[in-house]
Amino acid sequence: MSEKIEIGPFHTELEESVYFKLEVDEHRMVEKVEIINGFIHRGMESLVTKKNFMQNLILTERVCSLCSNNHPMTYAMAVEKISGITIPLRAEALRVVADEVKRVASDMFNLSMLTHIAHTHELMKDTMNTREHMQDLKEVIWGNRMDMSSNLLTGTKYDLDDRKVKIILDTLDTVEPKIRDLKERYENDEELKTKTVGVGVLPLEDALEIGVTGPVARGSGINNDVRVMAPYGLYAYRPELQPNVTLSLRKEGDVHARAMARFGDILEAVRIIRDVVADMPEGDTYVDKRPHIPAGEAVVRTEAPRGELIYYLKTDGSQKPVRMRWKVPTFTNWEALKVMILGDKVDNVTMILNSIDPCISCTDR
Amino acid sequence: MSIEEFNDAIKNKLFGDYELKEDVDHYGNSNSWIVLHDKRDMEVVAKAVKSFKGRCVVATGYLNEMDGTHTVIYHFDINGMIMNAQINTNDKTVISITPILRSADWAERELREMYDVEPVGHPTKDRLFLDYSIAKGVLNEYISLSKIQMGVSDTDVLWSQVNKGVKV
Repeated sequence: MSEKIEIGPFHTELEESVYFKLEVDEHRMVEKVEIINGFIHRGMESLVTKKNFMQNLILTERVCSLCSNNHPMTYAMAVEKISGITIPLRAEALRVVADEVKRVASDMFNLSMLTHIAHTHELMKDTMNTREHMQDLKEVIWGNRMDMSSNLLTGTKYDLDDRKVKIILDTLDTVEPKIRDLKERYENDEELKTKTVGVGVLPLEDALEIGVTGPVARGSGINNDVRVMAPYGLYAYRPELQPNVTLSLRKEGDVHARAMARFGDILEAVRIIRDVVADMPEGDTYVDKRPHIPAGEAVVRTEAPRGELIYYLKTDGSQKPVRMRWKVPTFTNWEALKVMILGDKVDNVTMILNSIDPCISCTDR
Repeated sequence: MSIEEFNDAIKNKLFGDYELKEDVDHYGNSNSWIVLHDKRDMEVVAKAVKSFKGRCVVATGYLNEMDGTHTVIYHFDINGMIMNAQINTNDKTVISITPILRSADWAERELREMYDVEPVGHPTKDRLFLDYSIAKGVLNEYISLSKIQMGVSDTDVLWSQVNKGVKV
C-alpha cells in the first residue's frame, strides 16, 4: 500500500523553496519522486539584457548570496574575454583570495545545515561558530558578510595591505585547527555516521551520466574541478595553487562522502589563501581604462563552492548584452537527487537534498 | 583530446556543411566552436561527445529578432575542453540529444519553456521551472512588470479570480 507524501514548497528543513511529491511504500521507502522547481524564478536572464554591462556586475552578484562572488567574477571574465583585456596579476590573486574565502564560508554553512538536519546539535553549533570567523573576516576586509562586491570589469575593487593580510592570516590560524578538529569529528561521530553513511547514494556511473560537478561529483569519485581541468586566473599562472583534489575525492557517493569532500575543499581553500597572500604579485588591481566591449561571444567558467559555474555572453557592440546565460552547479546536480532519493527512506529526503548543497535561487534565476 | 581528434570523429558522419574553429583563451584553455547547418548533425556531435566520455554542460537559446529564427548553442565538456555546437532553427524545433546525453535533459526542457523551441524526441514533457498557466516562450518577448504581476498568462485567470471577489 503506497502513500503519497508532499514536502514543501515551504518547510522548516528546506533552505529554499522546492516541492517534493513522493510516493512511499509501507516501509516508508520512496518509490516515486517528483520534484517541482521554479518558485524563485525571477527571469534574470531576461533582466540582464535590459541593463548595461556595469549594472549587470551588480545584478549578477545578487543571483545568489552564498556564491555571490563567483557570479560577478565569471561574468567579468566573460566581458574581459570579449574585450581582449588581460587583467593585472595582482587582480587575479585578489580574485582568488575573495573566491576561496567565500568557498570556506559557503561549504561550512552547508555542513552546518547537514548537522542541523541530522540533529547533531553540538556539531552544528561548532561548525557555525567556526564559520562565523570567516563571516567576520569578510566584513572586515570587504565590508559585507555576504555580497563582497570585490570585482570590477577589469580587475578588483579591493586591495590588500600588510595589515589586512595579517588579519586574514590570523583568522586562518584561528579557524584551521577548528576545521581539522571538525573534520575528525564528522569522520567519526557515530550519530552522524548512522544518519549519513549509505544514505542518498549516487553511484559513479549515474554521476558521470548526469554530469554532476563540485563536491557532489567528488563525493562519487569524479574530479572535474574547473580549477584543475581548465585552470583560469591565478590557478593557470601558478599551477601549484590548484587544489589537490585527491584530498576531496571519495568513492562512497553518499551524504557522508559529500560532506567529507567539502572538508577537503575547505582545507585546500585555506591552503590556497595562505599561499596567495604569502606571495602577492605587485602592481595594479585593475586596468585603468574603461573597457570597450565589441560585438562578440564568450564562454567562460569557474569553480564555485558547489561546482562548475559557466557563463555565455553575446554582445553586439552596444552597452547591453544581447544574450547572457549562466548554468550553476545545482542545475545539473539537481537531477541526481532522483537517483539519490529513490529507494531511500522518506525521513532522509531533506538531508539528501541538503547534501547537494542546493542553491535554488541560482538555479531558478 | 584535441580539436583534430574531434573533427576526425565527426567529419564523415555529418549530413551538412559545418565550420569548426578553435579558440584558446589567454589561460591556455581550449574553447572550440562548431556551427552546424543541418539539424540532424547535433545528434552526430552528441554521439561524438559521448564517445569521448564528455557531457552536455548546458544549452543556450535565443531569438534572432531580425528574421524570427532561433539559435541554439549546446556547450559540451570533453575532459576540460569546451565544445560549443551551434545550430539555427526556423521552425522552433531541434532534435533532442537527451536520449544520447542524459546531461542535456534540463537544458533542453528549459529551451522549450523559455523560448518555445521544442526538442523533438525529448523523453520528458513536464515543465521545468514555469507553471503550466504560463505560456511557453516567455523569453522571446519583453514582458512588463505589470503583466508579470498578472501571472504572465495568456488568460485572465488572476483577474477573473479577483473579480469574483469584487462585489459591484
